Amino acid sequence: MRKTLKKLLSFGLSLALLGASLTSVAASSAGMDETYNYDVWGEAIPSQAGYTADRAVSGSDIGAGSFDTPSDIFFAGDDTLYIADTKNDRIVAADKELTHSTGIYDSFIMPDGSPTKLNMPKGVYVSDYTGYIYIADSENERVLVSAMDRNVVLEIKMPASELYTAPTFKPQRVLADKAGNIYVVLGNITTGAAMFSPKGEFMGFYGSNRVQPTAEMIGSIIRRIFLTEEKRLLRTRNVPTGITGFDIDGDFIYTCTASSTQKTDTVKKLNAAGKNIFADKDVNFGDNKPMYDASRNILMAPAITDIDISADGCINCLDYTTGRIFQYDDECGLLFIVGAKSDQLGGFSSAAAVESCGDRLYVADSVKDTITVFRETSFGAAVHEANSLYNAGYYEEALEPWYEVLRHDGSYRRANLGVASALLRKGDYKGAMKYAKLAGSPEIYNKAFEGYRREFIRSHFTAIVLTLTGASAAAVLMHRRKKRRISRKEK
Amino acid sequence: MLDLSQRQWVKHAVVHPVEGFEDMRWKKSGSLRIAVLIIVLLFFAQIAHSRLYGFQFGMPEQKTFNVVPYFVRSFVLFGAWVIGNWAVCTLLDGEGTAKNICIYSAYALVPYIVQLYINVGLSHILIQDEAVFMQAVSIIGTGWTVLLMFSAIKSVHQYSAAKTFAAIALTIAAMLIMLFLLVLFLSLIQQVWVFVSTIYTELFYRART
Repeated sequence: MRKTLKKLLSFGLSLALLGASLTSVAASSAGMDETYNYDVWGEAIPSQAGYTADRAVSGSDIGAGSFDTPSDIFFAGDDTLYIADTKNDRIVAADKELTHSTGIYDSFIMPDGSPTKLNMPKGVYVSDYTGYIYIADSENERVLVSAMDRNVVLEIKMPASELYTAPTFKPQRVLADKAGNIYVVLGNITTGAAMFSPKGEFMGFYGSNRVQPTAEMIGSIIRRIFLTEEKRLLRTRNVPTGITGFDIDGDFIYTCTASSTQKTDTVKKLNAAGKNIFADKDVNFGDNKPMYDASRNILMAPAITDIDISADGCINCLDYTTGRIFQYDDECGLLFIVGAKSDQLGGFSSAAAVESCGDRLYVADSVKDTITVFRETSFGAAVHEANSLYNAGYYEEALEPWYEVLRHDGSYRRANLGVASALLRKGDYKGAMKYAKLAGSPEIYNKAFEGYRREFIRSHFTAIVLTLTGASAAAVLMHRRKKRRISRKEK
Repeated sequence: MLDLSQRQWVKHAVVHPVEGFEDMRWKKSGSLRIAVLIIVLLFFAQIAHSRLYGFQFGMPEQKTFNVVPYFVRSFVLFGAWVIGNWAVCTLLDGEGTAKNICIYSAYALVPYIVQLYINVGLSHILIQDEAVFMQAVSIIGTGWTVLLMFSAIKSVHQYSAAKTFAAIALTIAAMLIMLFLLVLFLSLIQQVWVFVSTIYTELFYRART
């Protein structure tokens, strides 16, 4: 009895262990060295890393005293990195390599000659066109526009316009376009970014999000019809989530929204009229299927806190929940996923902002008080080269780089797609069909197959005609013989 | 007249939608073995249709192949149809036996199955622009099967047209009820299983200490 019990117990234990090991395999995709990507079916598969963490830089490393809760970083056109060192009430400038600080901005001179200090600056931007530095001076409830010699050009306070109904004015992020218009992301504002003219006049809101239609929301709309006015006022309102971060690239402004509950409009590309160009793209920004963290009972739903457009047009989205950077190309095709939630190098406790400069990615962590530098790997370089050629329409020129990518990672979907397109353009239909199948693209396969069929018929025309005539003649003969046999039988 | 082998009877029933099944009934023909073979062919046709389709018409829906849905869509569904029809028509003065219902219904499915195989073949020859031909094949095959199925039920029970409609509608309702009961049964069994396994675990831990 004892023995069988023991056997049963060990059997049960081994089953439990097996189960545990299986779940740990699923969970380990969060590990730092295990980078992943999505396959044709939208499932996570291991992949090569496009970026690797080089080093983490603290404030004292660049000789500016340690940072305290840095919440925004920005690369100016002259490759100077500006860091909004929020709780130290200052902006720190550093060189591209992050070796030394090139300037600390904590006090400015107002136009009337009086000095002024920053209080919790949360966002910083430097315009290449006006040459001014724009600071979202959050606790002072103002946006400061200053020349680089610390002489304030413009101070934007809470607008007196009746369009601005919110009781507070807490700037979080700021940027300016070519014309010098200033855009400000405000805390607790859901109607989009506030837009100011170069002279500081309030011009309205820009690029608000849409409300995600959920069953709950539609139900509450129906219920509202039957409610009295007093009850209606007591109910929760359906408002879109406010914008969290943005970046400007030429004429387009990209916004991101950190909401763990909503999926609509988490990443937008807005034109000058405020229209979202990504509105009808069927892309899930962040993880396809959010991972469930059993140890903390949390569903790791993506919350994109910051967005950055690199010089080659790639979109870097920083997911606060998982501490990962999702890099997309300008057509919203996922390129790489790097980063993690961890204490090691390359992981983040509270990822706050992302910037790119050349082949590097910079991520500010507001709890570790560091800036992590990611270096592009050889795989990343190959993908970037191939992808930019591909998106520019140089399919054949992109073929060799795509093969290089496939040598690194044979299941990299975009590479298969690129090779299929290039081979199709070259007229290698058979090869195009093979790679289109691997890339999961019926459209390219269809075109390749059309060409393949045409070539096949052209080269085997005589054989096909002969077989067809032979077969039909045989069928007719068989039919006749059968008929004759039947009529003979009936006689 | 009409001295046909069992195989020829299949052809006769399929190409004579109005009289074929009446003739079969009159001659007391039809083979259960062929009926089962037809359903097996239906099973493989469905698998071929979803896994071996030309890639230019879309990717297979699932990443991994699972045989159970195909099994349900062929054997289980057909079984439910036969049992449901038999149950309903026994109450509605139908003359068909369960065996005959099975045979006649299976014969009626032939155009549909042929259509599936033809389309799998065509999907490797045609391109997206020519999908209309496959659509035509599919509509003709399915429509023909519907017609044959109606004729089969009419003949096997010796019903009028109106009564056949009613019988088919009731059969579909019966199938839904059976499905519902099956799901209910499974979920109950599952709960009983959880209960038993909990007791077992409890006893197991007590016996250990």
